[in-house]
Amino acid sequence: MPAEVKQEQSPSNATSLAMMQEPQEVVEETVTIEEDPGTPTSHVSVVTSDDGTTRRTETKGISANVKVTKMVKTVTTRTVRQVPLGPDGLPLPEGTSPLGSYTDSIDRRYLKNGSDRFITPQATSTLTRSYNNSYNDSYGETPESQYIRHYGLHDGYADLTDNYGSLSRGVNYRPPRYPYMPNSYRPENSYTLPIRKDDYGHVAQPQVPMGSSTVDLNRSQPERFQPEPYGLEDDRRSLGPEEEEPYELEPDYSTANRRTLPGANRGRTHREPLRDGPRVRGYPDDPIEAELIDERHPYIHGMYSAPLAQPERGSMASLDRMGGRRSPSIDSIRKDPRWRDPDLPEVIAMLGHPIDPVKSNAAAYLQHLCYENDKIKKDVRQLKGIPVLVGLLDHPKSEVHRKACGALRNISYGKDNDNKVAIKNCDGIPALIRLLRKTNDMEVRELITGTLWNLSSYEPLKMVIINHGLQTLTNEVIIPHSGWEHEPNEDSKPRDAEWTTVFKNTSGCLRNVSSDGAEARRRLRECEGLVDALLHALQSAVGKKDMDNKSVENCVCIMRNLSYHVHKEVPGAEKYQDPSALQAPGSAGPQRKKKDDAGCFGGKKAKEEWFNQGRKNCENDKSYDTLDLPKRTEPSKGFELLYQPEVVRLYLSLLTESQNYNTLEAAAGALQNLSAGQWTWSSYIRATVRKEKGLPILVELLRSDSDKVVRAVAIALRNLSIDRRNKDLIGSYAMRDLVSNLPSGQQRPAKNLEEDTVVAILNTIHEIVTDSSENARSLIQAQAIEKLVAINRTSQSARETKAASHVLQTVWSYKELRNALTKDGWNKSHFQPTVTATPKATKNGKPGYDDTTLPLMEKNQDGYSTIDQRDKDCKYKTGDGSVDLTEREPLKNDTNRKHYIRSNRPAVSLVDACDVKPQPVDSWV
Amino acid sequence: MSFVPGQPVTAVVERIEIQKLRQGENLILGFSIGGGIDQDPGQNPFSEDKSDKGIYVTRISPKGPADLAGLKIGDKIMQVNGWDMTMVTHDQAHKKLTKKKEDVVRLLVTRKSLEEAVKQSKGSYPKH
Repeated sequence: MPAEVKQEQSPSNATSLAMMQEPQEVVEETVTIEEDPGTPTSHVSVVTSDDGTTRRTETKGISANVKVTKMVKTVTTRTVRQVPLGPDGLPLPEGTSPLGSYTDSIDRRYLKNGSDRFITPQATSTLTRSYNNSYNDSYGETPESQYIRHYGLHDGYADLTDNYGSLSRGVNYRPPRYPYMPNSYRPENSYTLPIRKDDYGHVAQPQVPMGSSTVDLNRSQPERFQPEPYGLEDDRRSLGPEEEEPYELEPDYSTANRRTLPGANRGRTHREPLRDGPRVRGYPDDPIEAELIDERHPYIHGMYSAPLAQPERGSMASLDRMGGRRSPSIDSIRKDPRWRDPDLPEVIAMLGHPIDPVKSNAAAYLQHLCYENDKIKKDVRQLKGIPVLVGLLDHPKSEVHRKACGALRNISYGKDNDNKVAIKNCDGIPALIRLLRKTNDMEVRELITGTLWNLSSYEPLKMVIINHGLQTLTNEVIIPHSGWEHEPNEDSKPRDAEWTTVFKNTSGCLRNVSSDGAEARRRLRECEGLVDALLHALQSAVGKKDMDNKSVENCVCIMRNLSYHVHKEVPGAEKYQDPSALQAPGSAGPQRKKKDDAGCFGGKKAKEEWFNQGRKNCENDKSYDTLDLPKRTEPSKGFELLYQPEVVRLYLSLLTESQNYNTLEAAAGALQNLSAGQWTWSSYIRATVRKEKGLPILVELLRSDSDKVVRAVAIALRNLSIDRRNKDLIGSYAMRDLVSNLPSGQQRPAKNLEEDTVVAILNTIHEIVTDSSENARSLIQAQAIEKLVAINRTSQSARETKAASHVLQTVWSYKELRNALTKDGWNKSHFQPTVTATPKATKNGKPGYDDTTLPLMEKNQDGYSTIDQRDKDCKYKTGDGSVDLTEREPLKNDTNRKHYIRSNRPAVSLVDACDVKPQPVDSWV
Repeated sequence: MSFVPGQPVTAVVERIEIQKLRQGENLILGFSIGGGIDQDPGQNPFSEDKSDKGIYVTRISPKGPADLAGLKIGDKIMQVNGWDMTMVTHDQAHKKLTKKKEDVVRLLVTRKSLEEAVKQSKGSYPKH
């Protein structure tokens, strides 16, 4: 269990982090990518013709705009995003160019229109809407004039667009916003405005676009508007850390302004006015708002008089950190005490505002504030903001529930589990699931699944998620994105999995919940289509050789977790309990062993055993190889797929191809889980791994640089060696690599593996050596005795010492090997437990076990582990610790790892061969 | 002749066809085999690589069918009638060689002298 938990948790954290950050980047990227094809190019060409310098940005801006227009019809969010990007200088600040483009258009106007200032400003406003125009206008003139202009914008814009063919096109994308301005939306802006101080750039952008597109204006009304501005806000939030960029961009804008309007120097100031404008018009109805507006009015005036370029930055920065209270810019506040950002309580209160855009802006602002700010998250929780946000998830308007979802995702992220619990306590999980069923908006789905992923990292919530969301997550995300189809259409070829963010988030969530114990595993296994879809996705990954991504990692980890204890937990498992378990190699071992120990005629015993082994193997051959897998009348499905021998090939492919350590570990862990236990299927799995030539693959991974991969592989080999033939093969081929992972005396090997790993390797060696003198011989020839003795005597770790001591005792128990050992300079004392590992201590048995293996091995129920224990007891009885340190120094194992010289073997083994009758080996034909 | 499990083996081989001889009720080939993946390869005196668990010819009855066909002590049997013998148990190899319904076995064997001969003549190994 522990192993599982670890993996799950760590990934979850990482992922959640990634999610948080991603949105910022992702948003930008998505925008450009998705809608580029087609229109953008035309726009680009236009721009280019006009100005050489600005081309780049223009193209981008245009493309963004174009996208927007297209987008507008369907998805508002994207437009919003795009807009912010463009103005800000695009995600990658090339901000200057966009400005330039705008300027260009403006210039033209000037040229055409000539001396009229008013016209020019209008033109600017229309063109840029972009931030600059409106600002410029307001700038040059009094606030009143600005307002007038805004109202009149429609006309002006129309005119402008007509005049500037190229410009208008570019502008057109923005139209949605334009309507926004004139409409009642402005009030919304006003609310947002305070918040946006930080985001000035963003605000400005949205507005600009709106103004620019005449066409859109006509069509797009308030609705469009709302979504866009909010979308912008999202970007801001996600961008939160990157807010600096917009500021940098600002200079560009200012330059643009300068070009157009001689007087217009400060883009920033302009921006603020824009905000103010909307505010003024804002909702007089709401007293609070009205107050705010009043306050702002004066502020606006002040703004004009004193442009605050620097102060704004400061304010933004402060916003990010302070989160909101007394928000940002101290400077700005000082300069104009009437201007302030809303308190956190105010923001939360706005979540309940009757006007939807206010709600969504407030939620967006909350998301921004919460970004990487645990204090704010806590405050939001204590101010009872979370239930309100959860309530907004059911809001019919996509803009509102999207923002709420974004805020919840940020709040749910982090180590403060109280936030997660708070979301759960107000039924946030069912609400998220409900929304997931309802919405088709990819972004919202990403946010929902991201939030669930965050929530799933907290143990107590895992079962809640399973109860409310398992089937929905499977049906809505996992199955469709995996490409798996319930009833595959024979005509169409199977679809590949799509590694979308939604799939990644969802698989991450399921990965976390799959670690919540037996009941959770049962639910996941029995969730219809889940295992089938995961397997299909993984097979698709293998097919496409795309195995290093996070989604694959998540899927493999789920499979690994679900494979844990299948032989005990799966319905009907009793039927498959291996009846021959008692006689299986594992359990037979101890008996033979006893004979061995008791016998006085070591040589003969050895022969006998050897011969028996041969026979035994033949039996095994029959049972595993010829018996072959049971015939199925119908293809297996659901959880049965977990342990069908067919999965072996899948895991082996992953082990061969993947470069992702987590995936490697999980795949090895899956094999480890499947090969544990005594039931029919684990026998098949063990045999199948061999037949699929999986042993060399696993052995190869013993050389991995990753500690946990080595550990998982070592334990898997240990379980696989329950199969007698596997044990022989592993003994022959894996010993060198196993031994090379062991530390030599005081000096750790280059890899410096953790204690757990060393213990796991020692236990694996012990298992391989137990009941096989031949493997013990391999061990000797791999020059492991030096290392084992060194560990036994000098290791700081009691567990390592114990494990090494077990191995040594087992080796010494083979009397036929003692000759060789003595020749190499070893004596009995080397193979006895050191003083520290007294028989008493070890007799308890439990301390002797290494905990890491326990979860995946069945300590008590498997013949396997039982055997282990018996052996240990026997050993301890045998040996009394006398410590001889003299040998320690001479032991150097530098050569051990690389020079495992097989040719050494004959020296030892051939001697025995003389004694042993060749009969078993030799048969006439 | 060492090989890595799971990897293709390159070897110089000779085809040997042996007509089984009827001795009473038995069909005999006139040689004995040793080795197999269930046996201790270290005890195989014929293998160069002492980790090689292949099937080797350990004894040959003079004038027997195998002797007449040119089989030598120490030959490593790669295939029997097309069946791979490099990764089989001793018993499996035995069974393949002693099928009662087959009068003829075709072996693919390799031996050191073959490889050396090829080395000297060609300086390289033909791929099998």
